[in-house]
Amino acid sequence: MFKRVLIANRGEIAVRMVRACRDMGLAAIAVYEPGDEGALHVRLADEAYPITSPLGYRDPEAMLAVARVSKVDAVHPGYGLISEHPGFAQACEAAGIAVVGPGSTVLANVRDKVGAVAHARAAGIPTTRPSSRSFMPDETAALLNEADLIGYPLVVKACAGGRGRGTSVARGPDDLLDVVRRSSTAAQAVYLDPQVYLEEAVLPSRYIEVPILGDHHGNLIHLGERDGSIQRNTRKVIEETPAPNLSQAQREAIWATALQVARLFSCRSACTIEFVLDGEGRHFFTEVKPRLQVEHLVSEMVTRIDVVREQLRIAAGLPLEFTQEEVHLRGHAIFCRINAEDPWHGYLPSPGHITSFRVPGGPNVRVDTYVYAGAEVPVRYDSLLAKLVAWGPTREECLNRVQRALQEFQITGIQTNLALLRLILNDNAFIAGTYTTEFSRRRLMEMPPLSDDTSDLAAIAALAYLRRTQAAQPAIPEAFTSGWHRDSRRLPQ
Amino acid sequence: MRRFVVTIDETEFEVEVMGVARAEGWIEVQVNGEPMRVLLPWSATADQSGWAMVNNRPHEIQLDHDLHWIQTPHGRHSVQIRDRDTATARPRSGDGRIKAPIPGLIARILVEPGQHVEVGQPVLVLEAMKMQNEITAPRSGTISMLNIQPGQSVKLHELLIEIS
Repeated sequence: MFKRVLIANRGEIAVRMVRACRDMGLAAIAVYEPGDEGALHVRLADEAYPITSPLGYRDPEAMLAVARVSKVDAVHPGYGLISEHPGFAQACEAAGIAVVGPGSTVLANVRDKVGAVAHARAAGIPTTRPSSRSFMPDETAALLNEADLIGYPLVVKACAGGRGRGTSVARGPDDLLDVVRRSSTAAQAVYLDPQVYLEEAVLPSRYIEVPILGDHHGNLIHLGERDGSIQRNTRKVIEETPAPNLSQAQREAIWATALQVARLFSCRSACTIEFVLDGEGRHFFTEVKPRLQVEHLVSEMVTRIDVVREQLRIAAGLPLEFTQEEVHLRGHAIFCRINAEDPWHGYLPSPGHITSFRVPGGPNVRVDTYVYAGAEVPVRYDSLLAKLVAWGPTREECLNRVQRALQEFQITGIQTNLALLRLILNDNAFIAGTYTTEFSRRRLMEMPPLSDDTSDLAAIAALAYLRRTQAAQPAIPEAFTSGWHRDSRRLPQ
Repeated sequence: MRRFVVTIDETEFEVEVMGVARAEGWIEVQVNGEPMRVLLPWSATADQSGWAMVNNRPHEIQLDHDLHWIQTPHGRHSVQIRDRDTATARPRSGDGRIKAPIPGLIARILVEPGQHVEVGQPVLVLEAMKMQNEITAPRSGTISMLNIQPGQSVKLHELLIEIS
């Protein structure tokens, strides 16, 4: 087993990886960009090294330099940043440092999503129909031509990154170029790659994904399927496992295809095989995520498998300790992504100082986060603040538990999407488990929440108003005051 | 006694506050003529978030600093308060100055000086926290000032555009 592991990431996932190392008795080595040295993943690590390149955490060469200087025997890149960079994985491999992940060959093979789908299709796996190649956003004539061949509506997808950011539906030639431009700029901002490709739309559809674990000894298992159809502001916000309203035969067919795809691409470590389901419940392969996923903890809740631990063991060359038959999918888990944003204000990001942070507790509730009361949410990183997952023996009990956990969760000082998550989970389509990706078009926030006693709120609002006007009454007549006094009696911001 | 008309979402309530709204202890109010007792710690109104108790019902609340909304764990309600004694309704929209709501980078500018805009119309795109954020006009009018360039970094509360 390794002795020292470089955590080549930041935020909640870096904290998650530091924890996995500590739990296994390994030294966790953190990196930090200037200004991020006080972050939780740094504080919890055994050692920490600065990364001074202008690209920071995204610079594969600077990261490799840190790996060398800190004399680690493995690097865990987490998700995002350099996790899917084949060049980085290759350079580490050449330097004799293990990379926790599927390896540079798999990364290179699945990076070209259009090529990966074609490869799977040639092997007889049901797939979606993507465009013949990827495009730069200014190839307008070629894009319009290709779109005519595929037919509308179609999905515009960023070549880099996940299914949320940079993925949107174009419903006709009029909005195609606009959708392409938006996807491309989002992809450029997040993944530094503006290329997009088109794909036949399956509407209404469900996004189903199957996490797999593979070792270097030919063992390959799946951890059940997850439903990630619920999106808001083009991002997955809720996932659950098992996916609701699937027959056992459907599930087993999806798992079998996932393992077939994983074998085809020689997937090792933790990968996720993604599918769309059409209205008739048929599944089509879309892409391989060759990394640990944001939502991995929802699968950890039902399998009781520590995915990051398994990744580290696999990278060290150890065989999986369990077979597929020994993986028991118990009960139900629901995952929520808590973002620093204001859903009632166009999802405007909300960085700033967290004044209080009350984490939900009780049985079968887990929160992964990098923040705490007094922490700063920096403006230059992603708005993901915390991840909440709740488990229950049945879907119904799990729903109750995740609802109460969200009610307990209180974050002040910045805006969050906590209340929006409760509105989603309270929606009839979610409760019935009949939602599809079309759920994102549902107007939830325009409707006032029903479960509050509005006459109580009226009394509270009137008193709050009275308090504020009383606080703003000047004790000294305005004419006798200097300018600074006028400023100093402003309402608290 | 102070009297208010408080509109929560679409519903109007007549609220009377008996005596002074003290900083501590229970406050007697009437909502639509029905007596209620409210416990509202001072910190809840100063920090914009906290808790309150109305009769025997606990509430966790978050208040907009302009009191245009009140949020509970269940979601957000719109609020409008009219002071019966001064008879002035507080305006729902601010002035025509658009300030940077977060520090970021001006990705695109969608309007020109002199152009007429409608309330809610997107006027610029501000990139922050890896997101493209559309900033909309707070009121209808004409763009009278625009002193930003695409690609420019802006600070929190920096004046970007003025509509008059």
